[in-house]
Order: sequence, then C-alpha cells, then structure tokens
Amino acid sequence: MSAAAAGGFLLLRRAGGVWGIANAAVEGLRARGDGYRISAAGGALAADEILGVVEHLTVRPSTAVLRRFWAEAPAGLAVHERLPVVVVDPRRPPAALRLDQGEGADEGRE
Amino acid sequence: MDDSLETTRREGTHLLVRAGEYACALPLAAVRRVVRALTVHPLPGAEGELEGLAEFGGEPLPVLNLARLVNAPPGANPAYPVTVVAWAGPAAARETIGLSADAALEVVHVPVDAVVAGDGGLLLGEAPVGGEVIRVLNLEALGREA
Repeated sequence: MSAAAAGGFLLLRRAGGVWGIANAAVEGLRARGDGYRISAAGGALAADEILGVVEHLTVRPSTAVLRRFWAEAPAGLAVHERLPVVVVDPRRPPAALRLDQGEGADEGRE
Repeated sequence: MDDSLETTRREGTHLLVRAGEYACALPLAAVRRVVRALTVHPLPGAEGELEGLAEFGGEPLPVLNLARLVNAPPGANPAYPVTVVAWAGPAAARETIGLSADAALEVVHVPVDAVVAGDGGLLLGEAPVGGEVIRVLNLEALGREA
C-alpha cells in the first residue's frame, strides 16, 4: 500500500500512543506481522496500527516540560478526535518507532 | 484590608493536594482547573515523572506525576484521583501542564514567612498547616530545562 505524498498526516498507534507523520515524508507502507512497516525519509518505522490519514492537524511546538522529562525531539504535538498526537520528524524518529530499534527489527527488511 | 496585605494573602493562597503520603501546596494563581484524572497516553522512554500526554480543551497536555516529582512514598489507593491543570514555567514563557494527584483537599493560606528549607527548585519549602507539614511547590521551576 502506498501512502499519498500529498498534504496531511498519517496517524498510527505504537507503544500505547498515537503518532503522526507528514504524508509528504511517507514513501511506503506495508503489513508486517501484527503491525506495519512504514518507509519514510529513507528509514523504516514500525506501527502497531494504522489509524488513517487526516488532512489537517494543528501542530503545537514541543514544550520545555516535555524536553526536560523526555529525551526525544518530536516535531510537535497535536490533538485528533480527543487523542493526543505526537508529530514525528521521520529523520529523527523516537526510538519506539524505529524499526531497527524495536522488537523483530530484522523482520520485513527490504 | 490594605492592598499590600491583600496581595500577600493572594500570593500565599494555595491548593492543597495529596500526592502519595505527602500533602503538596500549589500556588492557586497557577491552577487553571482541577478535573477527574485525565486519560494519559504514555510516551515511551520518558522519565518516570512524565506520565504521558492527555487531551484537555482540545490541546495536548503533558501530565506529570506529582508524587514522583516530590519523591513521595506511595499512599493509599486514591478513591478520586485528579489532574490539576496548571501553569508551569516563568511568567514570560509559561505553559500548561497536568499534575496527577491522589486528591484535591482544600484551599489554604500559607504565609510566605512560614515556608522554610526549600531546594531552590520545585520544592519552595515546607510549612506547617493544620498539624501537618506540607510541601510548598514552585511551579515556575518546572518549566526550566534540566
């Protein structure tokens, strides 16, 4: 399945949270075991569930409190249908999303 | 009541909340809302003080565990846990956070000169209130980068 390289965000669930990736950065998406493998910005990300694509998210910058207690550097924060969304820069994805850091990293390599 | 006395009283007015075995006083001027504990979505790899993200008023809200922040020993299982939505950080760069606590207790007045022995950070100091030593917190310190 290919993701449209248009505007909007791909929303996915991983490690109990909801994450968003700009559609423009998504190069591919395919099923992988119980989850999905997402190709983006030259790397591979893992998702437990694909929630869909939304055309618009109001993305807020990360905050000082988040930076103090969370070493990751998200592109921003948003809310979609009352769910908090961490918007990811696929060039610097959080460890929880990186396929090469998660369980079964060797699976699904292309 | 003259203006300076009124200002002093306002500055010393706090919301008392239970966090584990500690009672903590949050400056009332920094408290935006107290709500039933919000649903929190974890942030993998975050430090233990950061429970995760919630949604409040259509905005993402980082939620911190108050008991972890003040190193409180665990208390009894809370019957009505709350999230205190509050301002954190210095006035010029304040941000909204959630503080998860076991219970909201009451509004108390803590005279500034009754507060002693703080750590210069989140813990402004301790003060006796109603026969108990409470932790008086400075939420402005939370917004500072480590």
